[in-house]
Order: sequence, then structure tokens, then C-alpha cells
Amino acid sequence: MGYTEYLGAREFLVMVGQPVITYILIMSLFQGIFSILYLFRKDSNYFDYLIKCLYISTGLYFIGFFILAWFHIQIYNTVLIEYPAALRQMIPVETSRIAAPLWIESEKLYFWAMCASAFALTVKKRKDIVAFIGTILSLFSLTVYFFSNPFKDPLPIVNSEITRWYAALSSGDMGIFQLAGTLYGRVTYYYNSTYMWTHPPMLFIAYASLIITFAACVYMLFKKDKLYDEIAYSYAKIGYILLTTGMLMGYPWAIEAWKDSAWWWDPKISGSIMMWVLYSAYLHSRIYISKGRMWKTTAYLGILCSVSLVFTYLLTYIVPGIHSVVQP
Amino acid sequence: MKFKNYDYYLIILTTFILFMIGAVSLYGITYYNYLAVDSGWTKTAQYSRYIDEMDSYLYPFLVLLLISLGLCIPKRLFEQDILLKFSAIILGITVILTIFSTIETGLGFILIVMTVVQSFVLVLTIRKSKSIRFEKEGYIARMGSSLLHLGFVVIMLNFVSLRDSPYHLLIFWFGVIFITLGNVFSFYPEKMASLLPDIGRQDT
Repeated sequence: MGYTEYLGAREFLVMVGQPVITYILIMSLFQGIFSILYLFRKDSNYFDYLIKCLYISTGLYFIGFFILAWFHIQIYNTVLIEYPAALRQMIPVETSRIAAPLWIESEKLYFWAMCASAFALTVKKRKDIVAFIGTILSLFSLTVYFFSNPFKDPLPIVNSEITRWYAALSSGDMGIFQLAGTLYGRVTYYYNSTYMWTHPPMLFIAYASLIITFAACVYMLFKKDKLYDEIAYSYAKIGYILLTTGMLMGYPWAIEAWKDSAWWWDPKISGSIMMWVLYSAYLHSRIYISKGRMWKTTAYLGILCSVSLVFTYLLTYIVPGIHSVVQP
Repeated sequence: MKFKNYDYYLIILTTFILFMIGAVSLYGITYYNYLAVDSGWTKTAQYSRYIDEMDSYLYPFLVLLLISLGLCIPKRLFEQDILLKFSAIILGITVILTIFSTIETGLGFILIVMTVVQSFVLVLTIRKSKSIRFEKEGYIARMGSSLLHLGFVVIMLNFVSLRDSPYHLLIFWFGVIFITLGNVFSFYPEKMASLLPDIGRQDT
């Protein structure tokens, strides 16, 4: 087992995964068309087609996820990092294997979209909200396919780390010492960290749930129907629990992994605080939803929360910081 | 003395304070982006100044939030006029401590007071005391509310005053457990009652 086997698994992932995500895209486009048709014509036939498309696209998302899981297992089984003897005095282990979580790099948006699709299937009370969510998910799938396709160039950063490691190993390059130190840090504090396996998925499941809250809050602006508020609240509860606990779980991880780095008031952390306080404000305002102007205030707050959620997600790509992929 | 719509205005005040903390965070993002001209800037004195500046913007709202939480927490223990006097005294002492010492000292004081009060509320809730009054119905929902508020003040106290304590992480995890259980109990009291029949029976 080694680099060749790893490359074989990666090629197999591209070969099998690309058709799956293409079918997801096609089904999602149909889903989007039927959603729009239902929203304008209110014909139940369109809604039935939309639900069928939603079931198929969600099923395909899960199939793709299992294929990704298989690839991650292959990375774990095939790639073995053996640290040079000279480094073993500084590094407490002799070897490492990469247990990469399924929500890193281009996979995170895929995971979020998959969870959102699964949540959409649980909204049964209002057809109009389901159709609206169907449209959002259709756009989401388009974004995943064109901007964050996990099957096109699977895990480019992990791949470059593995490739550089094996290249340095075979050439006897002295840079391997520095590379081994960097890899040890990445494997220990990032890929294999318990927090990496708990903190991000909790947040992504929360984000997925809060998409439903957003859709219901948009409808609340136009119609004062108690059911819209109930839908918004029932998904906000799930989202808020996961968001709160998930965010808090990032704290001990930051202390451990970034002990020599500056992370307090980092843009992503500020964004997360902003998102959390806005959701707290939303939950507070809905206590008196039937009083005065609180119905609309709550609806606007629910929408603002979702805007801040998307903004916080995008911060990784637009503003420099310790969480970010862009640097000044 | 009973103020009309007291709870309603308290909720509006809390919502507004939370919204303002959100605005401070947004300002922080913009300011960080403006200051981060090179990758090494977090190693400069400017970064420390940025942290201090952001803390100084946040802390007044944190004090206000704690006061609003304070007006909410002991309302279960005291009448409204006593409660307002109690909050005014706490705020006064916090301001005096801030002027003559630091804002951290003032915040630390108010957080300790709130932790003691909320712990007391939790004990009374567990013992089903008649001396506390809740908006929420049901034993589990009340437990949830008490745990959530206690967890929140414990986490804040831990961040503000106990960062260098050897028990910092242990206290943090207690806070996380309180908040998570508090959220679950507050949001799903009926489900929790069916999952925990011994506790759930006390609802009746």
C-alpha cells in the first residue's frame, strides 16, 4: 500500500463521482423548474414532480457522500507518513495516517447541501415553503457543481501535501524534515483532531436547518400565518442548539491548535459571534411575536440571520485571517 | 409596584443589545480587513491595540446584556421595584469598579453576582420552590431556562476573569454542558419529559 494505490483511489473517485454529481445537477435543475412552476401556478402535479426530484437528488447526494467516505478510508489505508529518525526526538509518534474528515476543502459545501436537502424532505406542512426551498437548493446544487465540486479535483490541498511528501521521500530531499514537521502539525491538530470531526459538522448541520428558517421567515413577511412562524421556529431550535454547542467546541480546539497564533477577534470568529447573537435576538423577539410590530421584526431578524450566516461562511474566502484561505 | 408590559420591553431591550453586539462584530471584521495589510500584522503592537479596542467596544454591551439578564434572572425572586433597585446598585458598583480599576474588574464583579444569583435560582428550581416565578410552564422548561442562563454567565465569567486559571477548561466544559442541556430542555420539554419519565412526572 502506498502512493500508487492512493492515486488509483483518487482516479476511481473522479470516475465514479463525476457522473453522480452531474445527475445531482440535472435532478436539481428539474427540481428548480418544478418549484418555480408550482410557485406561480399552484398546480399539485408540479409539486409532486418537485418532491420526486427532491427525493432523487437527496438520495444521489447521499450516494456521493458514501463514495467520498470510501475515498477517505482509502487515504487512511494507503498513505503512511513515516517520520525521519532525526525528527522522532521532537515528534512523539513514529508514523501518522491521515483520517481526513468529510467536510474539508471542496467537500464542505457538498456536505452542507446534502444536509439541507435532507432537511427539506422533512418540511411537509406547507407546499409553498417546500417549493421555495426547492428553488434555493437548486441554486445551491449549481454552486456546488461549478464552484465546489468534490469529485473534480478531490481534496487538492491534501493531495498536494501527500504528493510533496512522497516526492521528497523518493528524492532524499533535506526539505523532508521541514515537511514532516508541517505534516505532523496538520495531521494532529487538523485532520485527525476530534474537534475537526465534531465542530464543523455541527455547524454545517445547523446551517442546513437554518435555511428552512430563512425560507419560512421570507413567507412571514408576506402573510401573517402562525404556521410559518412555527416552521421557522422548529428548525431554528435545531439550528441554534447545534450552532451554540458547535461554536463553543471550537474554543478548546483554538487554544490547543493555535496556542502561538493570534485568533481572538479574527474575522471568522467575529462573524460567528455576529451570527449567533442575531439568532439569539431572533429567538428573543419571537417570544412576543403577536404583539405590536414584532411579527415583521422577527421575520426581518430571521432573514438577517441567514444573510449573516452566508456572509460568515464566505469570510473564509474574502477576508484574511487565521480561518481564511486568502492572506493579505 | 408592577410596570405595564415590563417583560415585553425587557425582551425588546435584550434583542436590541444582541443586535448591537452583532454590529460591533461586523465592525471588527471590517476593521481587521482594513488593518491586515501583510501576513505578519498579528505579531505587531497594532494587533494588540486592535484586540483592546474591540474589547472596549464589546464590554459596555456585555454589561448591558448582563444587566438585562440580571433584570430577567431575579425577577423570579424579587418584586419589580426591588429588582430595579437591585440592578441599579449592581450597575453602580460595576461603573465605580470600572472607573477606579478596569472594565475587566467591573465585568468580573457583575458576572460573579449573576453566577451566584443564577445558581441560587437553579437550586430553587430543582427544589420546586414556590418563591420563584417563571414565564415558562413545566418543570423541565424551567430547568432548561435556569441551566441556560447559568451556563451563559459561567462561560462569560470564565472568558473574562478565569482565562489563566488552571481550571479554565474544566469550567468551560461545565458551561458547555449547562448551555447545551439548557437549550435542549427549553426547546423540547415534552420530548425530554417522555425520555426522562422520572423528571417529567414532576411537571404534573
